[in-house]
Amino acid sequence: MMPLAQNEAAAGPAPRVSGPVDPAYRQIRDLVYNVSGIYQLEEKLYLLGEACARRMKEVGVAAPRDYWETLTAVASQESELRNLLNEITIGETCLFRSQPQIDALRRVIVPEFLGQTGRQAVKKLRLWSAGCSTGEEAYTLAMSMLEESEGPLKNWGVEIVATDLNDRSVETAQAGIYGDYALRNTADHFKRKYFVPVGGGKFQVRPEVRNIVWFSRLNLKEDSAISGVEGVDVIFCCNVLIYFDGPSKSRVVERFFNNLNLGGYFFLGPSESLFRLNDRFHLVHFPGTVGYWKPARKSGKP
Amino acid sequence: MTARLSSSIRDRVARIKITPAIPAVLLPLLKLFNVPAEQADVGEIVRLVSYDNAIAAQCLRVAGSPLFGLARPPQSISGAVVSLGLNRVKSIVVTCCMGQVFPVKRWALPPVVFWRHSLGCALVCRKFSEKLANVDGEKAYVAGLLHDVGFLVNCIAFPDQFEAAIKRASKEQVPLDEAERGTMGFTHCQTGEILGQQWGLADEIVEVMAHHHDLEYRGKAQGLVAIVHLSDLLCRMRSLGYGYYERQKVDMTHDPAWGALVKEHGELEGIDLVRFTFELDEAMNDIRDLVSLAFGTGQSEI
Repeated sequence: MMPLAQNEAAAGPAPRVSGPVDPAYRQIRDLVYNVSGIYQLEEKLYLLGEACARRMKEVGVAAPRDYWETLTAVASQESELRNLLNEITIGETCLFRSQPQIDALRRVIVPEFLGQTGRQAVKKLRLWSAGCSTGEEAYTLAMSMLEESEGPLKNWGVEIVATDLNDRSVETAQAGIYGDYALRNTADHFKRKYFVPVGGGKFQVRPEVRNIVWFSRLNLKEDSAISGVEGVDVIFCCNVLIYFDGPSKSRVVERFFNNLNLGGYFFLGPSESLFRLNDRFHLVHFPGTVGYWKPARKSGKP
Repeated sequence: MTARLSSSIRDRVARIKITPAIPAVLLPLLKLFNVPAEQADVGEIVRLVSYDNAIAAQCLRVAGSPLFGLARPPQSISGAVVSLGLNRVKSIVVTCCMGQVFPVKRWALPPVVFWRHSLGCALVCRKFSEKLANVDGEKAYVAGLLHDVGFLVNCIAFPDQFEAAIKRASKEQVPLDEAERGTMGFTHCQTGEILGQQWGLADEIVEVMAHHHDLEYRGKAQGLVAIVHLSDLLCRMRSLGYGYYERQKVDMTHDPAWGALVKEHGELEGIDLVRFTFELDEAMNDIRDLVSLAFGTGQSEI
């Protein structure tokens, strides 16, 4: 009998929550999804509940139902929703956060690129971590691509562009120093190969990794700034657009589309969706994750 | 496939002896899918199912799964018909029978993987159908449950060749039907079709077994075949596949089956496919539980 592959897709069993869920949390879940595109799985509603509980304490309401009222009240809806989104996404960042996305990149997209004559002619790949925060995603991409450079991508030039609105985040990212929490998903052989211990239980990303990552400050709402990052093959923009209103979101996504090379890809966070924001991208499913594809040809055939 | 090869496959499939006790319930039930629900003899079905204590007890347990819509298992089959409706009870009985029908000795693919895929596909088919006007969700469920029965036929009638096909598929990370074609010269679609005809299953179900990988199919069961084809793809991209990483991207909304379905069901364009995918992830624990309940394949096998 064949053993089950360890790497088969994402959605494993999640811890169960006992007891019925307050229906207000489902309403809040739907509100959050409709406004931000971020979806809380039913089995993880308790996490939403915890995030709400922290906010409820802060704003001084006792019942989930009352908190729902606060979130939908005209006066406070925008700011409080933003606070809640912060609570939901807090502490999510770590290296190798979404293995299915990395698998899609390495096992499906890179082989596809290798088979394209246009890309073979220039032998260059450019990835963009848009809204890179403190650099975890950018370095994850860099390490993954360095692994590929030892095999199929040998002699290709790979660069990772990483941008964030926040200067301090960019500085932290450039230093590339992480502790156990940020490294909790990082395999030992990656730690040994791409990090050096710097004391105090911290590890710094090695120079060969940092050398292919270009950090800078960039505001995704400034059209002129975005248009500077052109000729990109894959864009990762996780948990950033959730803070934008509908029109700004559409504009950024449109920009991303224009900045991508033909046949390029765009990934959101693992629980985000782009529904109805852009009909030029094709929604594509990879094992355990979804991405958005800029068709290679006008015919739109995959 | 040559006529000679075809007839030799037909002979080998004909020699498969299905477990004698179960079809007494199963085959008449499956034939009932040709009959509109209002013409079905409810008393006859209840009598058939209740006759077999073991199957009846299992059906009642399965009826208590959240995926079948009851908070607690019903007390009797006739009680289940009252609370769930005849069509849903038919689905439950078919589900429970299927696990016991095939005398597979050499599982080239772990039973838990096979049943999770089949049951997952059945549930996705039903969920898909609920989004479409005038589609019989329970018929779609049964079509999804049975679509890959050809794999079981292959396990029994062609064990060595099928094992080689699976090894090839998981090594090359390609779709299993592609590996079957390359290794065996035929696929589970053909063997499933032959079995379906021998059992005298409803024509539409046989069409699904035969054509769910056929992008050019334009026959009389086009809508049902398209639903199963798309649900099968979604399951394989969402940890309900054949137990290995399939190196591919799936562009569902540009699949010919999607196009064919949209022509009949314009409402399909309004589906938020990413949210649909997240909702499938939410059902994952219930699917695992249901597979254990209905097929006796426990978590320990993973």
